[in-house]
Amino acid sequence: MQMEPASFPFLSAILLSCVVGMMAIILIPEERQLLIKQVSGVFSGISLLLSLYVFFAFNRSLGGVQFVEHLNWIPSLGISYFNGVDGFSVPNILLTGIVFFTGVLTMWELKTRVKEYFALYFLLVAGVYGLFMSMDLFFIFVWYDVSLFPMYLLIAVWGTTRKEYGAMKLTLYLLAGSALILPAIIFLWAKSGLNTFSFVLLMHPGLFTPSVQKFAFLLLFLGFGILAGVWPLHTWSPDGHVAAPHGVSMVHAGVLMKIGAFGVLRVAIMLCPLGWIYWAKLMAVLAVIGIIYGALVGLRQTDLKYVIGYSSVSHMGVVGLGLSTVTVEGLNGAVFQMFAHGIMTALLFSSVGYIYDRTHTKMIPELGGLSRVVPVASAFFIVAALAGIGLPGLANFWGELVVFLAAFKVYPLFGVIAVVTLVVSALFMLRVVQKAFYGPANPRYAGLQDVTLWLGTPRIILAAVLLILGLYPSLLFNVIRTASVPFMNGLPR
Amino acid sequence: MIAPFRDILLLAATLFALGAFCAVVRRNLIMIVLGIEIMLNAAAIVFVGASLHLNNLDGQTFVLFILAVAATEVSVGLAIIVYAFRRTGSFDPRHFNLLR
Amino acid sequence: MVGSPAHPVDLAALIAATMLPFASFLAILVVTRGRPRLSAWLSIGSVTITLACSIALLALHSGLTTPIGFSADLIGSSGLNIPFGFLLDRLNLLMIVVVSTICFLVQVYSLGYMAGDPGFSRYYAFMSLFTWAMMSLAVSANLLQLYFFWELVGLSSYLLIGFWYEKFSATQAGKKAFVMTRAGDAAFFIGILLLFIHTGDLGIVNLDSRAALAGVPPSFITLSALLIFGGIVGKSAQFPLLTWLPDAMEGPTPVSALLHSATMVAAGVYLFARLFPFFSMSAVAMSVFLAIGTISMLLASTMAMVSRDIKKVWAFSTISQLGFMIMALGAGSYFAGVFHLTTHAGFKALLFLCSGVFIHRFETNDVYELSRLGAKRMLIPMVTMVLGAAALSGLPPLSGYFSKEAVMGSLAGLPNPVWLGAGLAGVFLTAYYSFRLIFILLFPRETAVTIPVGTPSPPPQAAGIPAGAPGAWAMAVPLIVLATITVVLGFFETPLKNFIGAGMLAGGSVGGEALSWTPLAALALALAGVGLAWVEFGRKGARQIGFVDRIPILHRLFAERWYIDRFYGLLVNLVIDRGISRLCYLNDRKVIDGGIDGLCEGAVESGRVMAVLQTGMVQYRLLAIFAVLALLALYFYY
Repeated sequence: MQMEPASFPFLSAILLSCVVGMMAIILIPEERQLLIKQVSGVFSGISLLLSLYVFFAFNRSLGGVQFVEHLNWIPSLGISYFNGVDGFSVPNILLTGIVFFTGVLTMWELKTRVKEYFALYFLLVAGVYGLFMSMDLFFIFVWYDVSLFPMYLLIAVWGTTRKEYGAMKLTLYLLAGSALILPAIIFLWAKSGLNTFSFVLLMHPGLFTPSVQKFAFLLLFLGFGILAGVWPLHTWSPDGHVAAPHGVSMVHAGVLMKIGAFGVLRVAIMLCPLGWIYWAKLMAVLAVIGIIYGALVGLRQTDLKYVIGYSSVSHMGVVGLGLSTVTVEGLNGAVFQMFAHGIMTALLFSSVGYIYDRTHTKMIPELGGLSRVVPVASAFFIVAALAGIGLPGLANFWGELVVFLAAFKVYPLFGVIAVVTLVVSALFMLRVVQKAFYGPANPRYAGLQDVTLWLGTPRIILAAVLLILGLYPSLLFNVIRTASVPFMNGLPR
Repeated sequence: MIAPFRDILLLAATLFALGAFCAVVRRNLIMIVLGIEIMLNAAAIVFVGASLHLNNLDGQTFVLFILAVAATEVSVGLAIIVYAFRRTGSFDPRHFNLLR
Repeated sequence: MVGSPAHPVDLAALIAATMLPFASFLAILVVTRGRPRLSAWLSIGSVTITLACSIALLALHSGLTTPIGFSADLIGSSGLNIPFGFLLDRLNLLMIVVVSTICFLVQVYSLGYMAGDPGFSRYYAFMSLFTWAMMSLAVSANLLQLYFFWELVGLSSYLLIGFWYEKFSATQAGKKAFVMTRAGDAAFFIGILLLFIHTGDLGIVNLDSRAALAGVPPSFITLSALLIFGGIVGKSAQFPLLTWLPDAMEGPTPVSALLHSATMVAAGVYLFARLFPFFSMSAVAMSVFLAIGTISMLLASTMAMVSRDIKKVWAFSTISQLGFMIMALGAGSYFAGVFHLTTHAGFKALLFLCSGVFIHRFETNDVYELSRLGAKRMLIPMVTMVLGAAALSGLPPLSGYFSKEAVMGSLAGLPNPVWLGAGLAGVFLTAYYSFRLIFILLFPRETAVTIPVGTPSPPPQAAGIPAGAPGAWAMAVPLIVLATITVVLGFFETPLKNFIGAGMLAGGSVGGEALSWTPLAALALALAGVGLAWVEFGRKGARQIGFVDRIPILHRLFAERWYIDRFYGLLVNLVIDRGISRLCYLNDRKVIDGGIDGLCEGAVESGRVMAVLQTGMVQYRLLAIFAVLALLALYFYY
C-alpha cells in the first residue's frame, strides 16, 4: 500500500482539537454555561474544518494511505502511534466532523450538567476520530473502548426513556463485542509472527493461512458487527438511540454504528480477505434479514426515536449487504451508504430533538399537526425521512443504488428482497410523517416557536450535505474508489 | 517399642476425627476451640509416634512447639470468645456472621 | 452516447428549461417563503421561460432526424458508468412542449384558485418542483436518470396531493399514491438493474436499437420489459395498481389537472413510448400490456359510471384513457398512443380546471349538488367543459375524436377482434359517463337525491371570489386557451404524424392501417353513449338514474371499485401490519430482547444463588475444608 507522509500532522490536530477542547471545558467553571457551549462550538468547528481540509486535500489520483504519521510507542510489542487515512476512512472522518459539530449545536439548549456533558461528548468523539484514522490494530482497539466508556455515562445521566436499561444494554453489548475483537486481534498478532500491530504490515497478502483468516474473520465480524447493528445482535441500538440525549443519539446512530461497519471493513475484511470470501454468504443473509426486519419492526413503533432506531437497523443492513458482495461496487456503495445514513440519521435525531425539547414527548400519537405550528422544524424531519426512503436527489439514493446493483450481480434474490423493502420503508416513514406532522394542529402545541436561524443551523448543514451529495455523488465516490479498486484488484482469487 | 506405629496412627486419627466432629457440630464457641485443640493434639501424637518410629528427635521438638502455640492460641481464642460473649451475650457461632 | 452532439444554444435552452423551475423551487423554499405573491411570480416566471425554451427548441428542431445528446459522468463510482445528460428527439420535443404548456396554464390558473391559501408559497414551490421533475424526466438520456426524476415526480405528487395536510384523507391519499406507485417502481428499479447488469448500458438510444440488444436472450428482454412495465402500471394507475388515482383527488383541483394530464400519469405512458422499440422486441410482453390496458380501461369506465363526485368521474376517465393509450401502444401503434397522450393532456386539463371553477365557487364535489346550485349559469366553464367532455367521448371535430380514431385504427389492425370489441365498448362507456355528468349538470332536478357522496374538498380560504375579481381572469384564460387547443389540435393529426412517425428511433410500426368501418362504428357507439345518457339523464322527465343504478349488485361493485381497494387495505392491515410486522416485533421484544434480558437476569440470579453459600458461618467453612481434604485424600490414595 502506498503511503504519503503528512507535511503537517493534520490527523493528530483533529484529535488534539477534541482533547484540548475537553481540557478547556473542564477548566471552565460550571456556572458559565454559555462560555462552555461557545468553547465547544469553536473546538468542534476547528475539527470540522480540519476534516474538511483532509477530505478535500486528499489526493484522489494518488490514493493509498495519506496524511501518515508514525511514531514508535512500545517497540518491543510492535505497537506504534500510526495514523493515516485512505479512501475508506476519509468519508468517515468528514462524517464525524459534521456530526460532531452539528451535535454540539443541537445541544445548545442543554441546561443540566453542561460542563460534564460536553467534556464527555468530546472524549467520545475523540475515540471515534481515533478509530477512523488509526492504522495500528492495537490503537483501533483502544479507541474503540475510549468511545465506549463515555457513552454509558452520557446515556445514563442525560438520557430519557428507560435510560439506565438502555445504557447498560448498550455497554454490555459493546463490551461483548470488544471481548470478541481483542482475542481476534491478539490471535492475528501472534499468527503473523512479525511482532507488529501495524495495519499496513499485517495486510501483506498471504501472511495468514486461510484457516486463520476464517476463524479471525468470524470473530471480528461478529465483534464489530454488534456495533454495526447486524441482525440479530441489533437490539441494543434502538434502545440506546431512544435512551440517549439527542446530540448523543446523533453521534450514536450517525457515527458509532459506522465504527462497527468500518471495523468490519478495515480490520475483518482487509486483514482476512479469504475469511471474507468464505463467510460472505452468511454476511449477506444476516444483512438482508436486517434490512427487511428493521423496516417491519419499525412499522409497529409508536416512539419517534424507536422508529428511527429501527430504520437504522434496516439501513445498516444495506451497508452490510454491500460489504458482503465482494465487489468494488459493493464496497463503494457500502461506504457511501455509511456516510449518507450517518448524515440522515443525525438530521432525524436533530429534528426530533428540537421537537422533543418543545413538546416534551416523542410518542407519535401525542404529536400531530406539527407542520402547521413549526413548519421549518417539521420540514427538516420530512427531508430526512425522504432521504431515508431512498428518494433520488438525496444522498441515500446513490448508496442504495450502488449496493443493490452489486447485490443483484451476486445474490439476485437478496437484491429483489432489498428493493421490495424500499416499499415497506416508504410505508413506515410516510406513516410517521403523516401521524406526527400532518393532521389538524394540536391545540396543546399552539404556542410553539419555530426554529430560529441559529438553532436551525445544524439541521441546515445536514440537509445541505444530503442534497449536495444527492445531486453530485461523485464527490464522495471518487474518494472511496481510490481505496476500493486497488484493494479488490489485490485480492487473492 | 511397646505399641505398634499403626495403632498410634489409628489413635491419632480417631482423636482427630472426634475433634473435627466436635468443631463442626457443636454450636458453642468454647467447644469449637476445644475441638480444635483436640485436633492439634492428635497431630502432636502423630509427631511423637513418628519420631519414635523413625528415630528422629525432630518430631519431639515439633510437639513442644505445638504445645506452646496451642497454649497461646487458646488464650487468644478464649479472650476473643469472652469479648464476643460480652458484646452479644451468646456463644453461638451463628450470631457472628457480620463479615458475611 | 449515440446521437449528434448538442449545439451550445440548444444546451443553454435545455438547461434553462429544466433547471430554472428547480432554482425557483429552492428560492421559494429558502428565501421567499413568507411572501406569497413574489413566490407565485417567481414560479410562473420560471415556467414561462421553460415554456418559451421548449417551444423554441421544438421550432429549431422541427426537422430533427438524429437525436441530440449531451452527457456527463455524475456518479463516479467505478463499475457504474452511467452518464447523466440530455437526449432530444422528436418524441420528447413534443413532450416538453406539452408539459410546459400545461404546467404554465395550471400555474396561472392557480393564481386564482389558490389565492389566500396559507400555504400559497409552498404550493408554488411544489409546483416548480413538479415542473422540474417532469421536464427533466422528459429529456433524460438514460433509464437511470429517468428513474431519478420518475421518483421525484412521485414525490411532488405526494406533496401536492397531501397539500392540505391538516385533512386526514388528504395525507392518506398522498401516502397511498406514493406507496402504491413505489410498489410499481420497485419492479421498475429491479428491471433497470437487471438491464444494466446484462447489457451494461442504460442509454435510451441504446436500449431502443435492435442491434445493441442482439446478443440478449429474448426471454430476458421479456422479463425486463415486464418489470419496467411494473413502473408504468404504478405511475399510470393501471390495473392492479389503479386505486391511488381516484383518491388523489384530495389535492387542490389544479394539482389534479396537472397530475392527470401532463405530468404524473403521463410519465408512465411517456416511458412506454420512450422505450417503445425496446418493448416491441418482446411479443409476449406487448400482449400483456395490451391486456392490462384493456382491463384497466374497462374497469375504470364502470367505476366512472356510478360516481357522484365530479372529480372522481374525471379521475376514472383518466385511468380509462390511459388504458386506451397503453392499448394503442401495446397494439404496436406508436403514433396513436402518443397522439392520444397529447390530446388527452389538453382536454383532461381542461375538464379538471373547469370542475375546479365549480368546486371553487360552490364548495362541493357532488355533481347533483353542483347542478342544484346552478353550475350551468357559469358560462365559460360550462361551455368549455362540454367541449372537453365531447372531446373525451370522441366526438368530431374535437381533438379526442381524431386520437381515438387513431387508437381504434390500431386495435382494428390486430388479428384478434376481442381487443377491438373491448375498445369499442370503452368508447361507448366513455361517452355515456361523460355525458351523464354533463346532463346532470345541465338539467338540475330539485328532486334529485342529495346524499353527499364525495367528500367536499376543503374550502379554500378565499372561496367563491366574485366574477371580476383579480383571480377570475387567471382562472378563465387557461380554460379558453385549453378549449382552443382541444378544438384545433385534432386537425394537426397529419403534421404530428409525420413529425412523430419520422422521429421514431428505430423499429416498430407507425400505426396500423384502419379498417374502413371502424371509425364509423366508433363514432356511432360514441353517439349511442351520448344518446343513452340523454335518455336517462337529459330528456325532460328523466329520473337521472342510470341503468347501473337499477342493479344494486352491479352498482355496489362499481361503487366499491371492484373491491380492489378493500383488498389492498386488508393486505396492508392484516398481512403486513398485524401479521408479519407484528411477528417481527414480537420476535424482537420477546425472543431476542427476552433472551438477552433473560441471560442478564440469569447471571444476576445465579450470582444471588451462589451468594447464599456465603453464610459467614465458621463451622460450615471448616466442614468444607475437611470434606475437601477427605476427598483429596481419597483421590490420592487411589
